[in-house]
Amino acid sequence: MHSLRRLNVYYWQYKHLFIPGLLCAVASAVFAIIVPMVVRQAIDSIPRFVATYKAFEGTALDAVVYAHAFVSLATFGFVVLVLSLGSGLFSFLMRQTLVVASRHVEYDLRNRLFAKLQALSYDFYLKHATGDLITRSTSDIEHVRRYIGPAVMYTTRAGVVILTALSVMFWISPRLTLFTLIPMPFLAVSVFFVARMVHTRSDALQKQYSRLTSRVQEALSGIRVLKAYAREESEAGAFDEESSAYRHRSLRLAMVEAAWRPVFVTLVGASTLIVVWIGGALAMAGEITIGNIAEYIIYVALMTWPVAAMGFVITMVQRAAASMSRLNEILDTEPSIASASGSEADGSVVEGRITFRGVGFRHPNSGVKALQDISIDVPAGTTLAVVGRTGSGKTTLVEMIPRLLDVEEGVLEIDGKDIRAWPLDILRGAIGYVPQDVFLFSDTIANNIAFGHMEADQDAVRKAASEADLLDNVDSFKDGFETYVGERGITLSGGQKQRASIARALLRRPSILILDDALSAVDVNTERIILGHLKGHFGKRTIIIVSHRISAVQDADQIVVLEEGCIVERGTHSELVDQGGFYASLYLKQQLEQEVEAYQ
Amino acid sequence: MSNRSPGKVGSRLDTHLLRRIVGYLMPYKGWVVLAFITVMTAAYLGPLVPKLVQVTIDREIVEGDVSGLRRMVGILFAIVAAEGLLAFVNAYMTQWIGQQAIFDLRTKVYRHVQRQSLRFFDTRPIGQLITRVTSDVESLSQVLSAGVVTILGDLFKLIFIAWFMFSLNWQLALVTISVMPIMIYATFWFKRKVRDAYRDTRKQVARLNSFLQEHVTGMRIVQLFSREREEMRRFTSINDDHRQAHIKTIFYFALFWPMVDLVASAALGLVLWYGGLSAMEGGVTVGVLVAFIQYARRFFEPIRNLSDQFNTLQSAMAGAERIFGLLDTDMAIPERGEPAEWSNVRGRIEFRNVWFSYDPETDPQDDDADWILRDVSFVVEPGQSLAIVGATGAGKTTIINLLLRFYEIQRGSILVDDIDITSLPLGTLRHHIGLVLQDVFLFSGTVRDNITLRNARITDDDVQKAADAINATPFITRLTHGYDQQVRERGMTLSHGQRQLISFLRALVYDPRILVLDEATSSVDTETEEVIQNALETLMSGRTSIAIAHRLSTVQHANQILVMHRGYVRERGTHQELIASDGLYRRLYELQYKEQEAA
Repeated sequence: MHSLRRLNVYYWQYKHLFIPGLLCAVASAVFAIIVPMVVRQAIDSIPRFVATYKAFEGTALDAVVYAHAFVSLATFGFVVLVLSLGSGLFSFLMRQTLVVASRHVEYDLRNRLFAKLQALSYDFYLKHATGDLITRSTSDIEHVRRYIGPAVMYTTRAGVVILTALSVMFWISPRLTLFTLIPMPFLAVSVFFVARMVHTRSDALQKQYSRLTSRVQEALSGIRVLKAYAREESEAGAFDEESSAYRHRSLRLAMVEAAWRPVFVTLVGASTLIVVWIGGALAMAGEITIGNIAEYIIYVALMTWPVAAMGFVITMVQRAAASMSRLNEILDTEPSIASASGSEADGSVVEGRITFRGVGFRHPNSGVKALQDISIDVPAGTTLAVVGRTGSGKTTLVEMIPRLLDVEEGVLEIDGKDIRAWPLDILRGAIGYVPQDVFLFSDTIANNIAFGHMEADQDAVRKAASEADLLDNVDSFKDGFETYVGERGITLSGGQKQRASIARALLRRPSILILDDALSAVDVNTERIILGHLKGHFGKRTIIIVSHRISAVQDADQIVVLEEGCIVERGTHSELVDQGGFYASLYLKQQLEQEVEAYQ
Repeated sequence: MSNRSPGKVGSRLDTHLLRRIVGYLMPYKGWVVLAFITVMTAAYLGPLVPKLVQVTIDREIVEGDVSGLRRMVGILFAIVAAEGLLAFVNAYMTQWIGQQAIFDLRTKVYRHVQRQSLRFFDTRPIGQLITRVTSDVESLSQVLSAGVVTILGDLFKLIFIAWFMFSLNWQLALVTISVMPIMIYATFWFKRKVRDAYRDTRKQVARLNSFLQEHVTGMRIVQLFSREREEMRRFTSINDDHRQAHIKTIFYFALFWPMVDLVASAALGLVLWYGGLSAMEGGVTVGVLVAFIQYARRFFEPIRNLSDQFNTLQSAMAGAERIFGLLDTDMAIPERGEPAEWSNVRGRIEFRNVWFSYDPETDPQDDDADWILRDVSFVVEPGQSLAIVGATGAGKTTIINLLLRFYEIQRGSILVDDIDITSLPLGTLRHHIGLVLQDVFLFSGTVRDNITLRNARITDDDVQKAADAINATPFITRLTHGYDQQVRERGMTLSHGQRQLISFLRALVYDPRILVLDEATSSVDTETEEVIQNALETLMSGRTSIAIAHRLSTVQHANQILVMHRGYVRERGTHQELIASDGLYRRLYELQYKEQEAA
């Protein structure tokens, strides 16, 4: 429970809502409690009216007596209405303050979480699944909100209703009250257990639902194998098993939910009957009036929901505590990569010289050595190409330059200064990065291209698109640069996405441009055009190209070949072809490929 | 379909659609009748309680009959208990009926999807199909379970309450019921407002979720391009919209509950005033007043339930429409009414002038259309091997797909043992063909399940024999749990070689006459390579085989090599013949196989 203590500041922050809200809860409860008293008065007054009316029947006064009764009864009815209006008004205000406050807290909490998520570095995201982080920022926060608002509201109102109703009831007849209360603890306890069972069983149902879904997903993804081996029947049988398990779990949940209302109704009914029974006996003995019986019946009705609510509240608090500790886990994580203290901007600008000195790196998840003793010097304005098989460490190498990963062994320098000494935003601001797996946001093409440089005007966006050979494509779209990408708009082809991603990096006019296998989805021709545009930048910017294609790297100032995290070959294109190693065989292969391609 | 707004689809109550949904309840009509009986009985017993309380007050309590009071309370306890029990039985029974019907529907939808041809899967995203089988079906569950029964139950509850009230005192009943129109109006007004507000809330929740999804996934890009401040601004604004949408629904809820209470209190006030006056004239007893006080509060629940049910029905319609739309589309490969028999399976394969395009609309006679295969002919005699080579996109995989009849050809014919494959039952055809794919697809389950594909007729002994035959046993025993090892995440925990061997074993235990191989391009370590090499030879010996070859040994040993280029068969012959002719094959050989020779 102590995980929830962190939330206390929010109560203080929104005290202008919480304090009046709680007062409203009290007021609403008090008004509601007075209603049964009025009803009792009204009912008890009836025999008196009847008696008086009988006594004066036939005399001149009977019209007066009738009029008096008429007015009195109308007054009782009116007072009931007014009281319920008062109770209703305060209950309205109570929800409008307390529940609204909980939404404000939710808002603040979620903003805080998102700010934290933005600050956390790449290694955090390697360790946490996307789905898990989303669950935390949505349903876990919702659980916490229910504790802050509704749980507090129910507790207050229930407390006031139960306490005042009990005192009034005890004052009328302690004996009747004790008997009436017998079913109440059962009610609270059964609500608690039922609520818990509903939660565990609906969680189990949810789990089975995902199993069912992944079964379908798997079968439909492997449909070729299933069909090829004529295993449709047995797979359908396996599906039936999951489907039947789902039915079973649904029915287990249905069992508790079906029991819930009857238990509630029966216990409330039992309380009412006890009132009739014991109250009837007491009325016969003249200890209470029949009006008291009606009054008690209404008290029972008033108390049942608050009593039941206590059962819910306990579960709510438990869930909230669990959720809050999951949230705290994120909120308490410190980003492993951040600007070092004392690395304030001193006005220095990144020129673009990159120097690796004996750099080594171990993958945080697998512990596998990804890079070993890498030393490369890339003077500002020159081009470095990195070649190698999948998994040889190429991406890891380039991810160190914008500090997505931090060097573990050795030193990485930018312009001769340790990379950690640069403020993060100055460093990253000087880098245009085109990642291997293209990621565009569901926004317009223009906004995606201007992602790293929002102030860019239309001309700059067009120019960047043209350099990335995307302009003709964009102009062919009906909405041009205002075309939406992704779910809400059109789906770009892999090549178009890559080129948009390149344009995004180029628009920044970065001192360092990193292309991590960024031309894999475009054909050789387009690659040539884009590289031609890039040549306009050669000499002005430091460029790092990771590629599988010789055509993309052959003009680089220096080429390194990586294998299992080590540099195995280095030199210019012609030097490496002469060496006859991995690079040379790759070159040969690609020449043959072109030959086959051209074969008629 | 996706373009229509969900609200528009949901607002139509299509009786034809509804009847089709209710059709799924027919197998359980006996239970449905029973559910009706229980719901009606419970609907009667509930309002009976205030009536009996009235009798008790007026007769036993007023007259001071202690034993009578005890008897009446006993009866009342029995009624309350019976009502509770019936309500429980009814609630559970309706859920039971609904879950049975949902199960049937889900089974039907799943089987329907599964029997569709690959063309169907090519044009539909798997995610959409999954939604149909799971959440769309689920959206009907409320209608199929509680739906009809509950609506009738609530209607009758209202009728019984009114009936008891009128039989007690019709004038007082009229006065009390006079507030009911306000209650109905308020409830339906509230439901409409809340539905609109909820629609907006759901939209905001979806917006928030997709923003989070996108930004958590693309956090690297946000950080690389130093967009944290801007994205925080956007998030805050979406988060704020989300908050406002919720605050709006709070308003309606905050208003609704006091309103209900107010209407009920108005009824109570009327009962006190009019009832009290009637009592003076001797028309109404105190017991009747107490009964009416209770009835005034009981109206509300059935009315609210009815408005709930109305909404559920509406939202179920959208799901039903999509499901039935799917069930009404059938792209399964048709099977002949009287299929040919394929006895005495030898394994001869013949492609006769086969033309094929993935576009089903292609005009069979149009030679310039977008054909993937053009006039492809070849024969593989029983026990012989054919290797298909060619660059990516040459049409190699298509040949395999057509032999297994995953797609229908547009021109020409494909024969096995001189029988046209279209005249054979799909099951028979595929039973005799073993397929080994290069991207070995593994299902979750044990290694054994993945070998037998849960075919109970394949014994552990068969599996063991197969494993021994291709020397795969050491690889299996190396796994912690051997054959019982759980395969997770599509087998990513297994090495590439292990996955290959599992797929070989899969083919071997089914003992097909014809073997179809799509060889893996990626190389494995030398030790495994040797095992796989030998396994392949064992696998192919005595069988007719067609292989999309990536291994030098496969092409070298093939009886016949087919060189595909842009849908045509460009060259054919043995390895030696083709190398000697110095055509396309020679270049492909240098590109793809020569390196292996060196190794």
